[in-house]
This record gives sequence, structure tokens and C-alpha cells, in this order.
Amino acid sequence: MSNGPLDGVRVFDLTMWMVGPWCSVQLGALGAEVIHIEQPDVDWSTLGAGVPPLINGTSVGYITWNMNKRGLSLGMKSPEDRAVAYELLKTSDVFLINMTPGVADRLGVGYDVVSEINPQIVYCAITGWGESGPMALLPGADTPAQYVTGFSTGTGAPEGDDEINRHFTQMDATSGNYAAQAILMGLLARKRTGKGQRIHVSMLRAGSALQSVRIGEYLASGHQPQRLGSGSQNTAPDRAYVCADGEVLGLSVTSEDEWWGFCEVIGQPELAADPRFGVNADRVDNREELDGLLEPILAGMVRDYWLMHLNRAGVPVGYPMTWAELRHHAQVLENDYIVPVETAAWGPVWTGGPPWQLSETPARMFSPPMPGEHSQEILADLQQQRAASEQPAAAREA
Amino acid sequence: MGGPLEGLRVVELAEGVAGPYCAQELSDAGASVIKVEKPGGDRTRGWGSRKRGDVGVAFLAANRGKRGVALDPDSEAGAEVLRKLIAGADIVIADAGWSAAAGLQYESLGELNPQLVYCRFSEYGKAGPWADQPPYGELVAQLAGDGTGSLGAIGQPPVRMATDIAGMYAAIYAVMSICAAVYARDESGGQRIDVSLFGSILAMRSTLWVALSNPDEWWGFHLDSYIKPPDTGYHCKDGAIYFSLARTSPEQREELYRELGMEWVEGDPLFELVNIDTGGGGGRYSHLARPVWERALANFTTDEAIEITRRYGGWAYPKNDYEALVAEEQAQHVGVIETVEQPGVGALRQVAPPWDFEGTPAAIQGPAPQLGEHNAAVLAEAGYSEAEIARLRSEGVLAG
Repeated sequence: MSNGPLDGVRVFDLTMWMVGPWCSVQLGALGAEVIHIEQPDVDWSTLGAGVPPLINGTSVGYITWNMNKRGLSLGMKSPEDRAVAYELLKTSDVFLINMTPGVADRLGVGYDVVSEINPQIVYCAITGWGESGPMALLPGADTPAQYVTGFSTGTGAPEGDDEINRHFTQMDATSGNYAAQAILMGLLARKRTGKGQRIHVSMLRAGSALQSVRIGEYLASGHQPQRLGSGSQNTAPDRAYVCADGEVLGLSVTSEDEWWGFCEVIGQPELAADPRFGVNADRVDNREELDGLLEPILAGMVRDYWLMHLNRAGVPVGYPMTWAELRHHAQVLENDYIVPVETAAWGPVWTGGPPWQLSETPARMFSPPMPGEHSQEILADLQQQRAASEQPAAAREA
Repeated sequence: MGGPLEGLRVVELAEGVAGPYCAQELSDAGASVIKVEKPGGDRTRGWGSRKRGDVGVAFLAANRGKRGVALDPDSEAGAEVLRKLIAGADIVIADAGWSAAAGLQYESLGELNPQLVYCRFSEYGKAGPWADQPPYGELVAQLAGDGTGSLGAIGQPPVRMATDIAGMYAAIYAVMSICAAVYARDESGGQRIDVSLFGSILAMRSTLWVALSNPDEWWGFHLDSYIKPPDTGYHCKDGAIYFSLARTSPEQREELYRELGMEWVEGDPLFELVNIDTGGGGGRYSHLARPVWERALANFTTDEAIEITRRYGGWAYPKNDYEALVAEEQAQHVGVIETVEQPGVGALRQVAPPWDFEGTPAAIQGPAPQLGEHNAAVLAEAGYSEAEIARLRSEGVLAG
């Protein structure tokens, strides 16, 4: 059984809160050995100062964002611990930090220091707003990143105001994921060039990149997205409708083939020839008229009918699911999209499974450590390494 | 020095948002991408109202830096062209259902090119009752995978994120797994990767699933936010702001009350909630305390409110729309936006790739292709003669 595609890659994970820890969760899922450094009295997400909700007294943030890692306690401000860090960095492939610009230097792990210890290291710094500029030293977090990048633009019911996504983790996770990409790209570049390098990702640019298509549309047209409830900005019909049984059906017609199929299923083939609705651009322009026709038709049958028939016609369809439903849904279970993870301290918890299915080198999820759980083990390994390297070469060969 | 993925060759058999944006990221990172479209073109060419120009901007924003081939994959000759391209590729990005041609399924491609990393996008995943559906249902994935409760009001019609989070999340995850598989290729050979919109959005909501597993009690912002009313920010005179006092001292808050002219607050029946709420929208009582804050903030512009809040140790940020994002000094300073020269459109502003690589810089490689723009060049590289290319064009195998 493979350990994942990053088997043999070691990550020195000097991260806290969510964005950095989330990044290294992904590297761990892909098989890297992630050593999460827990600094005394620093990580607000840890046991004592946990942000609720808690499980057995630990923040769910700590539990979720530190899976797939080993735990090492190191006080980066103490000279002895810093010496251990430097030793560990010699055999690390990746260095990851998410702190305000300048903090890495103050902790003695700026790029100049780390790259001198290990020129092959892929060094990744994540910041909120960039490494310079008027906002560089302001704290970065998910919600501020949503506000500043315009993530709410056009989201909400037509009569309301632009809505923030209340699951305050999407910008953190997005930025962590873009950073994980960059680290993987840095590892690939190293194979070619033989060299490590410094990488930086800001939440400001990552959060904006997530909205590349919508922001691109704004920049090209000058029109900001409009609040359309469940409606799409650029395709129609593409929204949620209420069916005869009161259930909500989501459907997305995003190509002309799908439009023709859709018209057949709803028994209105002549709609496909109606000049008001001929191609997508017409349907977007005449969205209200179109919905005026479709709403009563879709309200005429139960949701299961539409799911079956639209599915057969190749039109994407679905419906809102709650946790209670997702937790047991065959589509979730058979793809391992939400998986139980056994933990010693918190019992079984459910989390998102690896979102990739890799046929030869499968990804994995395992329990987060207690902070510092593997300190002794890791320090003993280092000691062994030290002893081995101090032996004369002849003795090693023998 | 080119980007970190320089030298990697990618063939994209995808449309919509997920597959194309995935391939565009690889291009920004230095890979060479050939986008193959069916004769009708990528569906995103027709997205948006036609007032925005001949080609949907969604297409231009997810397909820059690629060379374009247009052909009929379900014709024998078209499938043969694709097999030749794939034989020389490192990476294939494919949508479930993009082509019925049997020779383009991974199982046969693996024999053609054992080192191939093949990534397949679907809506709901490769297994299960809804297996292997095409990945074009953005709303569908948002509804199904959202677990309800991060947008809109409980009991009201659903609200979607206006931006394509499901397609983009899937693309972003796919890039990670593709790079990892290429990294492992020397030892494990090529392989197939499956990524779905549904699975990606579920993975992005992991914290909520853990929170729902077995919490000590139902409170804390993951669970609270899941049952709260819509969050539209703290409204000031001319707009709304993010506002959090989580790191302030009681003394700082006293000063802040005074500065905001909130002398009345101590007599307000909600004072107790205001005093224990830390703002930010994540507090247990933030939705109840918000109107009290807004009564005070209504007398200040967003700029004033942000300046005052920061002065007393709070966090405050503007609630930007896209116009304000682009105008934001910090966004300009770090280069959120870049300009691409798009033939037929002119200077087109787009969001820049999000990574700074000091050794191997990423860069936008060029505009999005016209339909079939690079047919001749790409087929010539694959060994086709001019006469063969002309024949394929006249037979309708090539389009554009």
C-alpha cells in the first residue's frame, strides 16, 4: 500500500490558526510527513484557549486543521529549541509559515537563514495582505478576506444586501489550498533545477483568484454581479425552483444541448424555437419572462419526477442536503467524501475526506496529534541521526 | 527562467469552469496547454449576455495562455488526433462525458502512455448512484454540498454564492493532486485521479462536519453561523464594514463608545449583549447586538469607522464590491489584477495568478484561443502533413 504521492517529503510546519495548518493538512493527506510545530502559548486554536465549538474541550478548529500531522513542541524563542528546529530543517523538504511579515525573521527562520541551512528547501510564507504595502501589517483572517476581496458581491436574495458566507473558513481554506499548490509546484521545479526557492501567497490574491471568472466578467463589462438569490449570473435557466411537493429542485442549463433536452422534458419543445429564449444570451436577457413560464411548469410535478427525467436528459440537477442527509448518503459514502477519523482524545469525528481519488497512490486522513504528542519520538530520531553522522565514515560503511 | 511547471505538456478535454480553470492554472505555472474543443466550442463561449461581446468573458477568464484545437472527438480521425496528442502529454484533464469515444477512456490511454497523469472531473464523483455525471452543475453542487446554512435565511429560498465556488474548488484541488501525481510518477508511474464538484465543496466544509460530529455544546462560530440570519456587515453612513473587538480591552471599548458617540449605550436594554459580543459576525450574540452598533455607526463613513475602530485596537475592514476591490490601494500594490492583450477584444484585465515564486516566476502566457486557432500548428507538431490537415478540415474533423 502506497503512503501517497508525497511519501518521503518532510514538511516543517510552523503554522497557526487556519490558513497555514489547512495547507499542511492537504500535504499530509497526499502522503507528506508533516511536523506541526506547536509553540507554547502561541497557537490560539489549541486546547486551552480553544475557539468553540469544542469537543472534549478542544477547539474543532484545532482538530480539523491539524489532521495528518505529527506534533512537536518547540519554543522558537528559546536558543535550545531553535537549534533543534535548525537541525530538523536540514532534513526537511518544505518550510511553511503563516505569520505577519517580519515574524519569521524575528523567530530566526527567515528565508536567508533557512536557505543557508538547506538550499534545497521549498520555503512558503502565507500572509493576509501581502509582504509590503499599506495593509501588510494588518491581521489577516477569513472574514476580513471575504470583505476586502468582494466575496459577497452579488450573493444574496434580490431584496436584501450582499451576503457574507457565514461558514467563515472558505477564504482560509482557499488560500491554504493555493499555497499547497505552490509548494507542490516548488517541489516539481526542484526536481528540474535542483534548487529550492522562496514562495509567497497572500489571502488577498488567493481570495481574488478564487473569483477569477466573476471578477473577470466585472472587469470586462463594468457590471457588478447582481443579487439573484439562487440564480446564475451568466446562464439561464440556472436556479432553484419549488416543485409540487414543496421541495426545492436546483437545475443548471448551461449549454444549448441541455436547453433542448430540458424543453423536451418539460413538454415545451416549442420554447427552444422561441426567439426570446433561442440561445443562452437571450435567456439571460429575458430571464424574468423565462422564469414566469417555468415556475408554474416545475411546480406542476414532484421533485423526484424532475430529478429522474432531467437527469436522463443530461441536465445537472440536485437539491439542498442537510448534515443528517449527507452523513448517510450513498453518494458521500461510496466516494469517501465525508469520513470518520478515529482519534484518541476526541473519539470518532467526521471530516471531509480527501477530495481526490488517486488510483495508484491514494490519499489518507488520520488523527491530529495532541500538541507536542510526537516530541520525544522526533527528538530521539534526531539524536540517532546526529550519532550516525558523527561516526567516522569508515564505521558507517562497515 | 520559466514557471515551476515549465516543460510539462497538458491536453485539456474539458469545458465549463472546473477543467478549464485547472488547466489555466497549470499554464500560468509554466506548463504548455493544448485545449481541445468540440466543434461547437466550450459552452462558456456562450455564457453571459451578448452585450458583453462575441465571446463569453467566462471563457476568456478560464482559458488564457492555452493553444486551441477544435475537432470532433467522436469521429475516428478526431479520436486518432487526440491519441497522438495524448501519447506525447504528461497530463490530461478530462470531463466526465466530454466524449463517448472509447479510445479516450483512461484505461486505454494508460497503455498508450504509461506515465500519463489523467485527471477526470465529474459532478458527484466516480462511484455511487450519481456516478460520473458531467461537471457543469455549479448550483447543484452548492446546494447539495453546502449542508445548508451558510447563506440565506432559514426557511427561505436558497441563495448561491455568486462566484463559482464549486467549480473553482474542484479545479484548485485538482491542480494539487495533479502536481502530486507528477511528483510521484518516477516511482508509481502514471495514474488516474478523480475530482468532483460535490466532493470538493464537502472537503472545503470539513470544519463544519467536525463541529457537527459531537460538540460539547451547540455554540461557537461554526455552529452559530450555520443557524444565523444573513450577514451583510455592519452598516455605516455610506457602506458596510467588518468590525471585530475580539482583541480589545475593556478600557479600549470604553474609549470606543465615547468616540462613536454611544453614551446612550449603557442605558440600552441590549447593552449587556453589546458588551460581551466581540462583533465580527461570529460572536454568539452578534446578530442581536448588531443593530445597536449600527445605530452608532450610522453617523460615520466607512473610512471614519475603520480608522476609529483600529485606533482603539479593533479590527475593521471595508465591505468591498468588485469596483472597490480593484480600487483598493493594497490590491494595486500586490498586483491582484493584470492585463492580457486579447485579440478581438483589446486590453483585457484579469485576476493574476496567486503565487509569488522567487526562483521560477509564474506568468500569464497569453490570451485565450479562438476556436481551432492552433489546429494547423498543433497537428503539424504531432506529425500531420499539410495535406492531411487540409483533408481533416474538409472532412469536418477539424473545426474553427
